[in-house]
Amino acid sequence: MIQALFIALSAFGLLMALGTVFARNLVNAALFLVAFFFVIACQFVLLEAEFMAAIQVLIYIGAVTVILMFGIMLTRNIQGDETTTVTRPWRLLGLGAFGTVCTVLVLGINAYQPWTDLSVRPEFPVTKDSTTARGQAILSMTPTVGREMMTRYVVAFELAGLLLTAALVGAVVLAQHDSTDVVNARADKPGSDPAVTGS
Amino acid sequence: MSQQIPLTWFLYFAAASFSIGLMGVLMRRNAIGVLMAIEIMLNAANVNFVAFWRYGPTPASEGPISGVMMALFVVTVAAAEVAVGVGLILLCYRRWRAADVDELDTLSG
Repeated sequence: MIQALFIALSAFGLLMALGTVFARNLVNAALFLVAFFFVIACQFVLLEAEFMAAIQVLIYIGAVTVILMFGIMLTRNIQGDETTTVTRPWRLLGLGAFGTVCTVLVLGINAYQPWTDLSVRPEFPVTKDSTTARGQAILSMTPTVGREMMTRYVVAFELAGLLLTAALVGAVVLAQHDSTDVVNARADKPGSDPAVTGS
Repeated sequence: MSQQIPLTWFLYFAAASFSIGLMGVLMRRNAIGVLMAIEIMLNAANVNFVAFWRYGPTPASEGPISGVMMALFVVTVAAAEVAVGVGLILLCYRRWRAADVDELDTLSG
């Protein structure tokens, strides 16, 4: 039963990923991407990491897709939708890379014995060994994540905060309208419309 | 109790998703499309992290949720990457009126 659910879910997710890659309209591609993110959240639920599923829905579907949508809306007026895919040699190259990487990965997964033997996930019985800690972590993941972030992963947590601050400031600085850029753009392209590029 | 899902099924799904994302990076001309394909690849890696955490043994030195923490930090870095990436694409679009990666060839001389 759960295996059939997994197969149906994975097939749907892979179809959505293919739709993201092949859709001519970028807005359609973004909507396919939302469905793919949701399938990933369902996979996290199947892996008993419900906190990760919540984070996936909040950050990817809530934030990342909105940013991508804004990017699409702010850049897609001039170019038509036909420029979103490439010419035939590149298409063949991409398909070849897909086939090669997928074959190598599947063969590698099949060849490694300790992975193919792991068909049953460890249970978490209420005993005193190390699996008990994980059982407790699965049952109450959100407090465990908070505790781990403040103890074991505190340096990585601070670095992530620094990275997010730097990315926030950097994105604002990059996307800010700078008057010297407009002058340069006019010098580079004399035919461009000053009413569009001017501030 | 029905039969459980083997670990390799999650690995197959992640491998296929990663390959599709790689194909998207190679085949998209629009930079936003390339960013979307990169997101697919990062998500495939996250599935692998969580699957290995759930199925594998847990040494006591690693803490109870090592794979989930790794996936969380990957999500953090991916969010920052998308914000900066979209900012860069908007900047390039404003300068050269193009968001296609094959038209941004100023540095190639």
